[in-house]
Formats: sequence, structure tokens, C-alpha cells
Amino acid sequence: MSRGGLPLRCDAPVLANDACGGANRRLRLEVGAAFPPSGPGQFVMLSPGPLPAAPRFDPLLPRPMAVFRREGTALEVLYKVSGRGTALLAAARAGDAVRVVGPLGRGFPLPAPGERAILVGGGTGIASLFDLAARAREGGPVLVLLGARAGADLMARDEFEALGVELRLATDDGSAGRRGLVTELLEEALAEAGPDRVYACGPTPMMRRAAELADAAGRPCLASLENRMACGYGVCLGCAVPRRGDGYALVCRDGPVFGSEELRFEGLP
Amino acid sequence: MTPEEVDLSVSFAGVPLRNPVLAASGTFGYGLELEPFFDLRRLGGFVAKSLTLEPRHGNPPPRIAEVAAGMLNSISLENVGVEAFLREKLPRIPEGVPVFASVFGTEIDLYAEVCKRLSGVPKVVALEINASCPHVKAGGIEFGQDPAVLASLVRATRRASSLPLVVKLSPNVTHIAEMARVCEGEGADGIALVNAVQAFDVDPETRRPVLWNGLGGLSGPAIQPIALRMVWQCAQAVKLPVCGIGGISSAADAVKFLLVGASAVQVGTANYLNPLATVEVVEGLAAYCARHGIARLASLTGALEPPRR
Repeated sequence: MSRGGLPLRCDAPVLANDACGGANRRLRLEVGAAFPPSGPGQFVMLSPGPLPAAPRFDPLLPRPMAVFRREGTALEVLYKVSGRGTALLAAARAGDAVRVVGPLGRGFPLPAPGERAILVGGGTGIASLFDLAARAREGGPVLVLLGARAGADLMARDEFEALGVELRLATDDGSAGRRGLVTELLEEALAEAGPDRVYACGPTPMMRRAAELADAAGRPCLASLENRMACGYGVCLGCAVPRRGDGYALVCRDGPVFGSEELRFEGLP
Repeated sequence: MTPEEVDLSVSFAGVPLRNPVLAASGTFGYGLELEPFFDLRRLGGFVAKSLTLEPRHGNPPPRIAEVAAGMLNSISLENVGVEAFLREKLPRIPEGVPVFASVFGTEIDLYAEVCKRLSGVPKVVALEINASCPHVKAGGIEFGQDPAVLASLVRATRRASSLPLVVKLSPNVTHIAEMARVCEGEGADGIALVNAVQAFDVDPETRRPVLWNGLGGLSGPAIQPIALRMVWQCAQAVKLPVCGIGGISSAADAVKFLLVGASAVQVGTANYLNPLATVEVVEGLAAYCARHGIARLASLTGALEPPRR
């Protein structure tokens, strides 16, 4: 599993925080040269809103967000305004500072030589896959399958197109790509000749279906989970998910990326 | 006076500490998780995640929920067990970091056995007895909620080890000072309070409790005034040194606990949102003392002024 440098905490000035389609936003932070590089699929914890109002008492806890990409000393996350924490984050203006802890977690391993990487992203889960696509294309073919409710909700579509990887889209309303589910695109792709490695990040039903399809086709599948967490670095034990077999795994420390065979999807949030 | 000139050292439960700031059990893992962020030797010490005789998996999710100015948790004391702690965790903790080992069990004998195994082990400077665990044989009431049960627990753990013994009290009682007196009577060396406050929350959309377990423990800034009241009452009731816990995230918060009678403090939930919270409290205390011309931080303990009337 890829692991960037050891995490640290920094209060990062906001470079940009703009709407980018639907309820999606792009936050670009100046994290500085000392902020460790992240591996594909790693995440950061962000204060719910700008400093000094945050760290605030209500809401209290930071929010886990996938690293979308790192460009020099800038770090970008994509997020969707879905509650009070993200609404406060959306109010951060250029020059405000946001508290960042990271990079955290175990990210995606790159495909083995000769494997095609099939990336399956749904909704905000798409953000976790961009850095993986950018790195995997150095080693072999990459097929990116993205799904969302409507074309406007598809995160980072332009960036994926600019990577020059093969991109297939599915939307619930047919406003971009196929009308239907992104997992239908996966089923078709898996009918093509392998070997492939499937990487999934999105809603639990999407990842569960992707894992079933990959398993049926004899392809390995990795899934990146999202969960509520208080700390992000393995001490609150709040982000536990049931392991297949016995006990629990922590999404922050043991994941967020898991081999699909390790997970019990029916027990996931 | 500069912050560097302030003497931050304190003694708590007979343990000399370079400063009064400890990290609270359950918010600091086994210490190793925080090592990437700062040198642990800058703290007074830390209280490790509560240890049981056997490893425990903990509760199913959801285990945590955010509430106004705090959070609920119901982890159910997931831990690696005392043997794995001694074998795999403790050796990796740097020298010079005082470790308070937190102990709990579902029966008194199990507490005592864990205390025995932690005795005579390098780096473990004291035991902290977690009295907020449900007592299975007493119908699930917390050990710390019944004076007679608490007395038996302190007596048994006192006999099991010669290490300094700190009892972490449950706030879920009517008369906290009575519990402090029980600890003093049974030979504890110090008390630490408060543990999380029993609480509950409901999702109005699903009509279900937000936690799998229903009941949870409330921690964070929301409980600070309750904790201050209880520390104040206990400090007046006993001569035992008191460690203040409850919603501390800044030096100003820590000073309040010292003024009402605490000799040391623990930073808990704040570690989740800021892995540097403990060291920032240490730095802030030095700055506070320098600003107020206080040469020895220990002189703040119990230095509360009477109300303006």
C-alpha cells in the first residue's frame, strides 16, 4: 500500500474556493513545501470552516476529505456542500486559513505491470481517483468510469479528459454519457480482455456492485471507504467498519483503501 | 519574566512531571500514533488507552456522533489487551515519556490482574483506574457510581500494585465528593475527573438513536463547566491531588482547572481536532505564567479568588 510522508498539521491559506458544477466545490490550499507528499487515495482532515472561527466548538470536529491532487506547494480537495461543516468550509475566502492534518491513511497500490487500471468513481468519490489515474497512466492503460446524477455533478471531468486516459461516463438523467449506472459501464469493460485491476470509490451500493462484478470476472478490486471520523489518525476509534471474519478495521488507519475481500459491504455506512 | 523562565514542573499522585499537561486516555492511542506530530517528551506524560486482560473488539458502528460543542462516543473500550501492550506498544514509546497506564475490567479481579501485570514495568509511572466501566455482577452500574463498589475496586487495585494509583471518576453520580472521599480512604494516590458524561442523541429523520449502543459518553467543550464544578467540589473534600479533565483545549481552560484545585490536567477530545493540542496547552501555560509574573506554575493550584460580592 502506498504511504506518503508522515502526517503533520498546518494552517493553510486558501488560494481558491470556487463552485465547480452542481453543489461541488474546489478548495485549493497553500500547504507549503514542508507538507509531505501524499500517495494516491490518501486524505486530509480539514477544519469545518476557516480559522480563527475554527477550530470552533459547533461544529467541533474536522472533516475527512480525499486529496484530489497536489501541485507544488498547493493541495486541492473537491467537496460537496452537504451539511454545516461543508457549508462553513464553502464560506472560506482566499487568504483565510484552514486547518489541515495529513496526509493520512493507506492509499491505492498502483496496478501491477501489464494490468489495465479500471477506475470506477461515483459522486464525490471521484475526487479520490484523480491522482491514481494520473500516476497509473505512467505504467499502463487506464480506463476511467465516472457516474453522477447529472453531467453538472461530474467532478473534475475536464481534468480527467486532460490526462488523456480513456473516459466513459454515466448519469442518472442521461445529461452526460450513458443514461444509467456507472457499474453498467464496468460490467461491459470487464467483458473485454484482462488482466485488469478495479479501483472503486463512491456510494456503498456502487462499490459493492463493483466488487461483485470484479469478483465474478476474476479481477482484483480495491475500494476506498468514506466514514465519519473524529481524528483521522487512529486514536478516536470512531471510524470502525466490520471486517469480513472477525472484528473491525479503522477506515483512517487500516484504510481508507481496502481489498474488497476484506470488507463486509452490508455493514458499511 | 519570559515563558522559558517559568517553572512548569508539578507533582501529581507522587509522580514528578515536567509540566502538568497529560493526554487523556482514549484520545491518544498508545502514544505512538502522535509521534509523527511532536516530541512526546514535551508533555507531562500521557494516559494510554484503557487496557483489559484480554483484547477487546469494541462496539459496532456508528460509534461516534457530533453534538453541539462536543461529541458522543460509544467505543466500548476496544484495546489490544495488556500483554500486547507490554510486548508491542510500550517498547516503542521513547524513553523519558511518563506513561500512565489506564486499567479497566468487567470484574474487580480482572482489574487487579491487569494492575499486577503493569507493575515493575519500565516507563509505566502510575496506574489510572477507569471506574466508568459497567460492573457486570452489579447489574451494569458503573463501578464509580456506587461508593461501596468503588471502595472494593480501589482496595483491590491498591493491593495489586505498589505503583502510584490514580482513580478516574465517573461524573454520572449525585455526590462526586463522596466518591473522592472513598478513594482517599482506600489509599489512592490521586483522583482524575471527569470521564465522559452519559448522554443520548436521536436522529429525528430515522427516529433512531444516533449511536449503535444508544447510550454514549459526551466529551468536549460542552462538559467543561460540569467538570470544573466537580473538580472544585472534590478538591475541597479531600487532600488527594486532583487531575482535572473535561473540555480542555487551551491554556486558559487548563488554568481554570488549576485554580479550582487541580494539580495537573488532561487534554482529551481536543486531540482529535488538533494533534498538537497538548503541546499548545503547555506553551500557553508558560506564556500565561510569564504574563502574570508567576514563577512556579504549581502555585496556581487552588489559587481561586472568592466571588466578587
